[in-house]
Amino acid sequence: MRSLRRFFSRLLSWATAQRDEERLQTEIEEHLALLTAENLEAGLSPAEARRQAALKFGGVEAMKESYRDQRGLPFAETLIRDSRVALRRLRRAPAFTVATMMTLALGIGATTSIFTLAYDVLLKSLPVAKPDELYRVGKEARCCYLDGYSQDKEFSLVSYDLYKYLRDNTKGFVDLAAFPATDMLFGVRRAGSSEAAQTYGGEYVSGNYFAMFGIGAYAGRTFTASDDQPGAPPVAVMSYRLWQERGSDPSVIGSTFNVDEKPFTVVGITPVGFFGDTLRSTPPDFFLPLNTEPYVESEADLNKYGQHWLELIGRAAPGARPAAIEAEMRVELKQWLRSHWGEMSEGDRAKFPEQTLFLVPGGAGIATMRERYERWFHILMAVTGFVLLIACANIASLMLVRGMERRRQTSLSMALGARASRIVRQDLTECMVLSLFGGAAGLGVAFASTRLILHFAFPSNNGLPGVPIDPSPSLPVLLFAFGVSVIAGVIFGVAPAWIATRTDPIEALRSTSRVTARAGSLPRKALVVFQIALSLALLSVSGLLTSALHALETQDFGFEQDRRIVAKINPRLAGYRPVQLSQLYRRINDSIAGIPGVSSVALCLYSPPDGGWGSGVWIDGRPAPGPREDNSSSWDRVTDRYFDVIATPIVKGRGFSEQDTAASRHVAIINQAFARKFFDNEDPIGKHFGQTPGNTREFEVVGVVRDARYYTRGLDQPSGAFFFLPEAQADYTKSLGSLFLRDIVILTRPGASLSVGDVRQAMASVDPGMPIVSIQTLKEKVGLHFTQQRVIARLTSLFGVLSLILASVGLYGVIAYNAGRRISEIGVRIALGATRSDVVRLILKGAFRLILAGLSIGLPLTFAAGRLVGNQLYGINPYDPIVTIVAIVVLGLSGLLASIFPAIRASLISPLDALRAE
Amino acid sequence: MVLKTLDVLGPLHGYGIARRIEQISGDVLTVNQGTLYPVLLRLEQEGSIASEWAASENNRRARFYRLTRDGRKHLQTEIRGWEQTAAIIGRFFAVKAEDLK
Repeated sequence: MRSLRRFFSRLLSWATAQRDEERLQTEIEEHLALLTAENLEAGLSPAEARRQAALKFGGVEAMKESYRDQRGLPFAETLIRDSRVALRRLRRAPAFTVATMMTLALGIGATTSIFTLAYDVLLKSLPVAKPDELYRVGKEARCCYLDGYSQDKEFSLVSYDLYKYLRDNTKGFVDLAAFPATDMLFGVRRAGSSEAAQTYGGEYVSGNYFAMFGIGAYAGRTFTASDDQPGAPPVAVMSYRLWQERGSDPSVIGSTFNVDEKPFTVVGITPVGFFGDTLRSTPPDFFLPLNTEPYVESEADLNKYGQHWLELIGRAAPGARPAAIEAEMRVELKQWLRSHWGEMSEGDRAKFPEQTLFLVPGGAGIATMRERYERWFHILMAVTGFVLLIACANIASLMLVRGMERRRQTSLSMALGARASRIVRQDLTECMVLSLFGGAAGLGVAFASTRLILHFAFPSNNGLPGVPIDPSPSLPVLLFAFGVSVIAGVIFGVAPAWIATRTDPIEALRSTSRVTARAGSLPRKALVVFQIALSLALLSVSGLLTSALHALETQDFGFEQDRRIVAKINPRLAGYRPVQLSQLYRRINDSIAGIPGVSSVALCLYSPPDGGWGSGVWIDGRPAPGPREDNSSSWDRVTDRYFDVIATPIVKGRGFSEQDTAASRHVAIINQAFARKFFDNEDPIGKHFGQTPGNTREFEVVGVVRDARYYTRGLDQPSGAFFFLPEAQADYTKSLGSLFLRDIVILTRPGASLSVGDVRQAMASVDPGMPIVSIQTLKEKVGLHFTQQRVIARLTSLFGVLSLILASVGLYGVIAYNAGRRISEIGVRIALGATRSDVVRLILKGAFRLILAGLSIGLPLTFAAGRLVGNQLYGINPYDPIVTIVAIVVLGLSGLLASIFPAIRASLISPLDALRAE
Repeated sequence: MVLKTLDVLGPLHGYGIARRIEQISGDVLTVNQGTLYPVLLRLEQEGSIASEWAASENNRRARFYRLTRDGRKHLQTEIRGWEQTAAIIGRFFAVKAEDLK
């Protein structure tokens, strides 16, 4: 309390410094006058009286100084004074200042831009009320539909029925909301307008979704429980983003929009910045009540008890412990499962005892992106941190040189009585000023590069808004940049400042030019060694990632990419019913095949490298698989030309033909992995299998195709079992999602070029209302699968090159400086008969000693870094000797380049000049 | 000491305080009188004393310091604390070796 008051009065008197100074002066004079008067009374002479008074009073200036220290805020005052001096000094060395600031801006900018992304993806909570009260069911993000009454490890997705049971019985939650685990796209157009339907992200949500998140509508209203009832009038909430994009038209509220050709009344707009429950590249623009799902979807999941497709997030009641809610819900899960005992399969019943669920904090929503990118961000943060360290080392090295040049001044100051701490503080302040300016410039760099990274890492396709990440710096980002600047300033400032104070004043003042080569250069050499070591690690990491990317991109895909174009359509959005589809496909096929330059066309549910539809497989004549046996396979529905168009060779049997019709024997073609998985060494041709246990003779295998890369699982997984069914034999009397083929694969003639416009025109001649989701070459489509890997590889390469340049500049600086200081020594050597090449060798020997030291420290670092990225390399050896050797050679060469110039320059000195330089 | 002096004598200027401390201590404490001023400043910043300009006894402008209510409270606690310390030290000096056996 007392010290607080003192602080404020200090602050006050700091502002009124001038007046206080006068007051003190008056008081001192008064005091002296009184003392003198007293001495006069004692009978001293006036002169003696004054002298005695002054003696008694003591040193006036020393007293004033200590008075001043007491009075104001000396810390702040010195800081300001030091900053002014620093600014003046920096202004006087513009080249140094600009170089340092640019280096810093790059280092801090790189770190900050990665932090901006990492913060948004990994750390940020949803923009909702009290996100720390939210809990989510399920530890892992799963996709998208799970059948039956058992789930491996944990129940993370639930059916609508189970959701209602949990919602109504869990007392620990104030609200428990549900929404699907899939990204959904809808074809939407405003009712009554002539515009074609456009594709937008959308999401079915439970009626309490917005209430649970604690957010109201920006305009209009959000959903209530009564909106989410069977038979309630269909209403929708539009995202603020889309509303703004459409010109913030207030008449949108209350108007009707056709979602997949079903009319919905828009009742409200979401708040600014709300992007739903999941950070993803297709944030929902339309929120629809869960109970409208059967109204929109021909194949509704809402009322299937055993179809699990909903994610749950709930808001815990005040004071409720998550562990207690979790226990409560586990009991409810078991109760619900038991009430469906009759519908459960043998396998489900066998797994019943282990069924459980987990609650995890849900303030960040469904963190799919977090799980996918977390490791990458850690790697990138480490990489940029290294780059920043290397940059700091460069600047520290420059500061050391400056300190060296200022030695005389520093010595003088110390000789005049400046305390060491004062000099360190002055130097540190200069570094701080420098690094804060660098940090400010770094923010600019960060903003630009974040935008660039976002652009490359999450390419937005076809008018969809893309990941809702804002590249502009938020408060935490600003704080981060500030913190990094301060830390950087300390890192590159402390050592030079400390070394500066260790100069012996007498030594420095006496010797003017004759300095020994060793003095003071050790710290700089250490910095360069450290830079080389870090740089080697970064280079080899980027080399590893690049070669992993190369291996991914040039692998044997099992299909051809050249001359193939894939157009994605969505007949469901155009309102087609299954019975119309067969006809539609034929017309599309004919229309596109008629474009000049098109060699052949095929339609399919999935074209590679996308995954397939999932299914169980029951082989005819074999006992049914046990509950824990994996009998799953992916499958695809294709038209008869498909394998020709995509150029996947048939290794056994035959392909599909026009003879395979709805009336003929239903056939299937399997891939080699399917044959290996289900038929071992037997010949699969002529064997039968089915998709349900009751119908094992559903399909006859007529052919085997080579494995092709359909990425149903990770990029590093081998091809899984896959079977293909002919479109001509599809049962269009049923209502199945798999009937809606989505990809049109077009093979063009060699040399022919096909424009997007041609394809659109051909499609428009079939149906002008058919939304075309995208048209791209197969190469682009394959490339998109490696976007993440490519961005990471490019970023690390960029940072690797940056570190290489910084390290080379650092090396150059040290070699050039040391060569410069050894001029007289070199002059003497030359005068004594050393040749030019001797001199070059002398300088280079020093340089190579540094490089070798750096490399030998860098090698273990490289292996550690290899371990860090090891499991992101898709089968590439993390200790790949070739990559390491290439990195060493590159580093060695640039080191040689950096040191050869100063060496040659030193060797060209004429001995006379060198000796005269003294 | 400054506080006690002001407590006993009422408002005083710097010179007066310095003289007084010398007198009371029997001229044992003859430090440089100038060192008094930083102490006065600190006490004023803490709010223990207040100061104002007034005419001194020989009609010169002088700065007079006086004890504030806070300062008096501060003085009380200081005195108590000091007395305690002195008492404890005193007891230690009073103890003789045989007392501890």
